[in-house]
Amino acid sequence: MTKKRSLLFSLVRSLCAIGIALLVATLLIFISAGGDSLGERLRTTGEALQQLLIGPLFRKSGAFNTKNFTDILAAMIPTIFTGLSVCVMFSANQFNMGVEGGCMLGAFVAAMCAVYVPMAAGLHPVFCVLMGAIVCGLMMLIPAVLKAKLNVSEMVSSLMLNYVILYIIKYFMNTYLSDKTKGSIQSYPFLDTAKIAPLVDNGSNLSVGFLVALVFVALTALFLYRTRWGYAIRMIGMNQSFAKYAGLPVAGTIILCQVVGGILAGLGGGIEMLGRYGTYNWGALPGYGWTGMTIAILAGNNPLFVPLAALFMAYLDKGCSLMSTYCGVPSQLISIIQAVIFLFFAAEQFLANYRQKLVVKSAREELAAREGGNGNG
Amino acid sequence: MADAKKVEWSDKETYAVEMKSISKIYPNGVAANQSVDLFVRKGEIHALMGENGAGKSTLMKMLFGMEQPTSGEISINGETVKFSSPNAAIAKGVGMVHQHFMLVPSLTVAENIVLGTAPTKKGLVIDRKKAVRITEEYAARFHLNVDPNARVMDIPVGMKQKVEILKALVRGAKILILDEPTAVLTSQETEELFRELTHLKTEGYTILFISHKLNEILEITDRMTVLRGGKSMGVYETKGITKAEISRLMVGRDVVLTVEKEKAQPGETILQVRNLEYTNEWGRKMLNGISFDLRAGEILGVAGVEGNGQKELVDMLFGLNQPDGGTAAVGGKSILGLSQKKLRQTGVSLVPEDRMLFGIAADASIEENLIADRVASKKYNRGSIFRMKAIRGDTKKLIADYAVLCRSGKQKVKMLSGGNIQKVVVAREFSNDPVFILADQPTRGIDVGATELIRKKLVELSRAGAAVLLVSADLNEVMELSDSLIVMYGGKIAAYFEDTAELNDKIMGEYMLGVQTQPPEETRKVCHD
Repeated sequence: MTKKRSLLFSLVRSLCAIGIALLVATLLIFISAGGDSLGERLRTTGEALQQLLIGPLFRKSGAFNTKNFTDILAAMIPTIFTGLSVCVMFSANQFNMGVEGGCMLGAFVAAMCAVYVPMAAGLHPVFCVLMGAIVCGLMMLIPAVLKAKLNVSEMVSSLMLNYVILYIIKYFMNTYLSDKTKGSIQSYPFLDTAKIAPLVDNGSNLSVGFLVALVFVALTALFLYRTRWGYAIRMIGMNQSFAKYAGLPVAGTIILCQVVGGILAGLGGGIEMLGRYGTYNWGALPGYGWTGMTIAILAGNNPLFVPLAALFMAYLDKGCSLMSTYCGVPSQLISIIQAVIFLFFAAEQFLANYRQKLVVKSAREELAAREGGNGNG
Repeated sequence: MADAKKVEWSDKETYAVEMKSISKIYPNGVAANQSVDLFVRKGEIHALMGENGAGKSTLMKMLFGMEQPTSGEISINGETVKFSSPNAAIAKGVGMVHQHFMLVPSLTVAENIVLGTAPTKKGLVIDRKKAVRITEEYAARFHLNVDPNARVMDIPVGMKQKVEILKALVRGAKILILDEPTAVLTSQETEELFRELTHLKTEGYTILFISHKLNEILEITDRMTVLRGGKSMGVYETKGITKAEISRLMVGRDVVLTVEKEKAQPGETILQVRNLEYTNEWGRKMLNGISFDLRAGEILGVAGVEGNGQKELVDMLFGLNQPDGGTAAVGGKSILGLSQKKLRQTGVSLVPEDRMLFGIAADASIEENLIADRVASKKYNRGSIFRMKAIRGDTKKLIADYAVLCRSGKQKVKMLSGGNIQKVVVAREFSNDPVFILADQPTRGIDVGATELIRKKLVELSRAGAAVLLVSADLNEVMELSDSLIVMYGGKIAAYFEDTAELNDKIMGEYMLGVQTQPPEETRKVCHD
């Protein structure tokens, strides 16, 4: 199929997925919308849809909403990192679910360094975040080595590991590290030198971390597509028997991709923590890891598409939260709408017939062109 | 083409199989068939010929309901049909024997034959006795001699094929499709198969026969359809057509199937194998004291019916399995237990038998497949980052050298035809200055053009000093290409021929089937100490 037709197909497919999801969403909103008369319900539904689609960017007056926009960008910071992390691990067919716990561990370690290790202003956040990343990379050695040496399913071990991390952190926070003068479980405040500077001054938490995230998008793409390690990761993902036969270091690469995934997840957690909060107060898994998996799948494991997918998810999140704030639509609907959109994206056979028609058309044209070029064979 | 008699479609006849202007375009954009016409008379043996990628398998898959045509019409005995699945095809009396057997190894012959249609006792348990009776009945009726109680994993390849044919017949097939049925058979087994097929023909069965082997086609078929590049080149009477004419129809040029090679001048011993022993997980002794030497500059052929230890030998030599005893060394250094990475550093190359599993990553590009074994080399890396220029330059060169038919090095390997995929494998394995090349069925199931190129390159490399171990089930190939040859039977070296010149397939067949065995003094000569 020609490049143009491929692109056309992807576009049509994406729009159809979104269209169908919106239809389902509209129906659900209509059902759950408050109001006594049909007219009132329809009006609420209309308003809710407007909030969902346009609300994240424009005010009712039509003016551009800078605060909302920067909020969306800020929300992308941790999910870009977790998305990249999942891209690297899934590229090698390593279905490691440890991003979730990794993200939390990275945040925790960074926070502790920010509280207890005094340092110069420029260096401090870098040190904290790096420490978080390193510890998280080491943590991933557990499922990675178990997989490489004993063939333990990394999916199971990493999934379990998430809870181990969660409760170890909770234990330390509850017992030793919390600020007892506060009403809730939280750490002592970060030293001022450790905070990551904001990128804009409108109270939106959009920190310099966003730029760092974009840099890591490029670095991860470079790593996967332009280095021998990334090459080995992708070959193992495509055909592990082939990789072994060709003499690629299979066990080493299986470990490597998970450690790199851990480092990326840890970076995301640390940057999010120091860019958004003043104390460590996470009492549950943050959920960025799961979002990261969705993002990686939407991006087809290609790091370059991760920011787009992250933007899509953040936009949807913002729209949904606006909808629930201003129109009384239950926030649970958010998950349903996201799930529907995701379903149509992930369904490989969705619109397969249309695709086949385009393929046939292209092939026929190509054959005709070839015949025309060579006379009659 | 004076003698070849082209046959035209006749409206007056009712054909057993009619496929009218069939086109098939796959989701990956490959046009496998373009307006192909096929018509087969009832009770004839009809050959389907063509290079790999010519569209034979696709056409037959559509006739058997495994694929659906993009356009065109299929009729069976004059009745237009649309097969949505193989079950629908079987219901209309079409049966297919695949190239790779679809049998359950741990079940008995009778159980395999009735699988899915098994007779039961009151609908609860399988009536094994009845299954055996059915098998015996059909076996006797069609002269297909099988042992109903043997487990499929214990029977020879030839019998497995008969089981497949019986399976189709028991399901009521009147039209049999055989996909390269002789690819794995010895010449004796092939003869037997041909007798059986002729018998089926006299009973009124229609047989569609896919093969690459011209001799066989001439021997057994009545008519043939030749495909080239997804199009039909017409239907011909077998009587009166010559091999050269068929070749020309298939590839559009005359192909020389004999390889020109100078006499080998063997140098020092490269590979030394002594007393290799291996017993597989089912307790069968697959390697029983294998010893031989392979010298620089020679091609040593390993012939034998599949399942006589060749696969195990290759696995041992390429670190995919560990022997129970014995030694194997390249250049004096043991290679047993080395990783594939170390083996490759030692200069060992392998053209694997299963190219889709080991030879390539189908979803990766040609370029990515070509660099797999040299991805860490200095030439391709500047610090941590790839030198894309060097990689692309070499890719271009290899594609040209090995005549890989593709749009560019960025094309995914899975979009190529079988022959071109093998060319990619061979281009990689032959271009890394190998000292010892292990070629396992290097030309199985690929077209004449690619076969010719691969054989030529093998000879070239050996004459330049590489040691080549050629494992092949294709008798013509081992006899044509090898300088000397060993025959494996039952995990042992049954014969060693220092010079392949005066060998013929009759003698070879006898050693391959274990009818004859050379005394140890003779086979010992392959160790040149």
